[in-house]
Amino acid sequence: MPDDPIYRLPLDPDEEISSGDINSFEQLRHLILAPEQQDLARLRERLEDPGLRTGDISAVLPEAIHLRRQEGGEDALGQALLPTVESALRESVRKDPGTLADALFPVMGPAIRRSILQTLRSFFDSFNEAMEHSLSLRGLQWRIEALRTGRSFSEIVLLHSLVFRVEQVFLIHKKTGLPLAHAVAPAVAMQDASLVSGMLSAIQDFVRDSFQSARGQILEKIDVGEMEVWVEDGPYAILASVIRGIPPPDYRLHMAEALEHVHRNFAEQMERFQGETGPFAGANEELSRCLEFQYKEQQSRRPKSYVLALAIVLVLLVAGWSSYRGWQDHRWGQFVETLRAQPGIVVTGFARQHGHYVIRGLRDPLSADPQSLLKQTGLDASQAEVRLGGYYALDDAIVQKRAAALLQTPPGVEMTVSDGVLHAEGQAPASWAGALRNRALLLPGIREVDLSQLTDTDQAEFERLQRLVQAAIIRFPLGSSVLTTEETAALQRLSTEIRSLLAQAELLHKTVTVEVVGHSDSTGYEATNWPLSEDRAERVVLEFTRDGVPRSLLRGQGVAASQPLRQEENEGARQYNRSVTFRVKDDATAGARAASRVSSNAPVSHAVAP
Amino acid sequence: MLPETQKKICLLGSFAVGKTSLVRRYIESIYNDQYHTTVKVKVDKKVVKSGAKEVTLVLWDLYGEDDFQKMHWSYVRGSFGYLLVADGTRRATLDRALELEDRARVEIGPVPLIFVVNKCDLQQEWEIDEAMLEGVAARGWTVLRTSAKTGEGVNEAFQQLTEKILR
Repeated sequence: MPDDPIYRLPLDPDEEISSGDINSFEQLRHLILAPEQQDLARLRERLEDPGLRTGDISAVLPEAIHLRRQEGGEDALGQALLPTVESALRESVRKDPGTLADALFPVMGPAIRRSILQTLRSFFDSFNEAMEHSLSLRGLQWRIEALRTGRSFSEIVLLHSLVFRVEQVFLIHKKTGLPLAHAVAPAVAMQDASLVSGMLSAIQDFVRDSFQSARGQILEKIDVGEMEVWVEDGPYAILASVIRGIPPPDYRLHMAEALEHVHRNFAEQMERFQGETGPFAGANEELSRCLEFQYKEQQSRRPKSYVLALAIVLVLLVAGWSSYRGWQDHRWGQFVETLRAQPGIVVTGFARQHGHYVIRGLRDPLSADPQSLLKQTGLDASQAEVRLGGYYALDDAIVQKRAAALLQTPPGVEMTVSDGVLHAEGQAPASWAGALRNRALLLPGIREVDLSQLTDTDQAEFERLQRLVQAAIIRFPLGSSVLTTEETAALQRLSTEIRSLLAQAELLHKTVTVEVVGHSDSTGYEATNWPLSEDRAERVVLEFTRDGVPRSLLRGQGVAASQPLRQEENEGARQYNRSVTFRVKDDATAGARAASRVSSNAPVSHAVAP
Repeated sequence: MLPETQKKICLLGSFAVGKTSLVRRYIESIYNDQYHTTVKVKVDKKVVKSGAKEVTLVLWDLYGEDDFQKMHWSYVRGSFGYLLVADGTRRATLDRALELEDRARVEIGPVPLIFVVNKCDLQQEWEIDEAMLEGVAARGWTVLRTSAKTGEGVNEAFQQLTEKILR
């Protein structure tokens, strides 16, 4: 205070002062300065006394630090305090690690957990991926179940692994083993919380004592059949959850968070706990949040209706498509069976390739045409490829067709092949039949020819003509060998028939003769009747010869009334006996006749030797 | 709902002094006696009225090990008081009770206790005489004679302990 006049006055060295003045001055100075001097002395004392000074600083220190922070001097303050704080913490930990650990418990938990959670999350991601692609038996079973039930794979995994219910949660005071708070899920049979808490604490103590585990280490999980008790440890209390089923691992995080929350809000009450539960009513809400559950029958897990509808449509489409395919397969299968049943067709393979059918095999050219068979079934020919190579079939039916084509079967003949034997049935010229036997045996597949049912048409014609000729009667007037006009015409027709007969006989390699027999009635004289009958025969022979029948093949003879055609009971019958009749004889019969004629005495006809 | 006021108390005493019998007829229990031989403790409950106040006593009935080393002293921690039980017919159980009290004081400090001499129904067989009990009372302890068989003094013991704890 250099400008203060009170302090300046006595310090001026150039001023002369008398003793009386000095006394007065001292008095004056005392009067004026005494209060200040006393203040000064007190101030000096406070500055020099460390005890007082500490008291002064302690009164303003918080405000000073606050002010310093407001003025932006935080860095400098922090730096200044850092060594002290560090050594203080070191000392605190050295003395009792528990104190600092308990103080840090509410803040350390979340920080550590966050870091662990991050690590775990990436682990679970890869784990889930592994599960997704897992080929383990259980994974496959779950996949099948997912397909069968229409649920997602992850949902099935959830159903099997994450179904649980937390039935009770206890907040237990660590020191006394008494319950501080208790939450129970609805409709759960509740045990006495005091007893359960006590016994749970006892068991914790027992395990800790028995295995001499370090302080703070606890039994974290107790398995009791389908129940589990999970325990989370805090400085003043433990949280115990009674769980039915298997909860997800992150439930432990929820427990830890709840316990931390309780410690943040009730640490002081827990430390001073004297058995009064009133102060912890607020913790019940936190405990209730731990009553988590996950039911098996979760409605919301069911697939949404449109997913269901889509699934049904897909299933129907798949079912429809496979039914159609099945039907198509069946129809094509039937067609293949039809082909197999065809003579001359061998099916060696039938398959569906790239959406269309392939039929492989062999086919005789004479067998049924597969394409026309296909048309009859109504199947789409473009769906299939029929690859049939050529071959020579020995099936009876095919051999029969081949024989019919090659042997020029005449109409009226039916040929069948059975077991390698060719049967010919019906009527055919002997010439064709003879050729058939030789040629048929040259055909592959025919080992024998059966002609027993084949009738010779040449012989039949011969016999017909023979019957026709032998039935003919040429009549003459009474006592005459002159032909009437009418009989002449009949005779001309007959001569044509005889020529045909002779031609037919030649075909059959037969040599035949036609006997022309003249008759007379019994009236008149026998002596005239014989020549008359001979004349009549001769007359007809002459007519035949004139019509081109070789004379050598005709034998005329008269038999008078010796071989009457009818009994002459009236004129009509007598007319029949005035006639000429015919007998056709082949070589053998002709020869026999010649012999008998020679031996008999009967008149000889005008037979001419050939 | 949890009881408003709960107190953890212990039952301490030698083997076969009748601790368990003492409480069996007067307590609520959900655990059987097998817990004694396995976990060495059984937790039971007794509700005591003190004036208008209802106090739930959570009783930790410790198995009476004769070997101190085998005792689970951690069970005693946190107790608000305890019953110290001796068997009137066995002098040794009194000495043992005194040793137990010494150790309990180390574990949990000077908490209220009631000294209970059991088997007063067998008074004529007692080895503990009046003089000995006076010696115990001189320590400032409340001494009560009980009979687990007849029920004599049992409720009183719990009642008095509760009063002491609440005081």
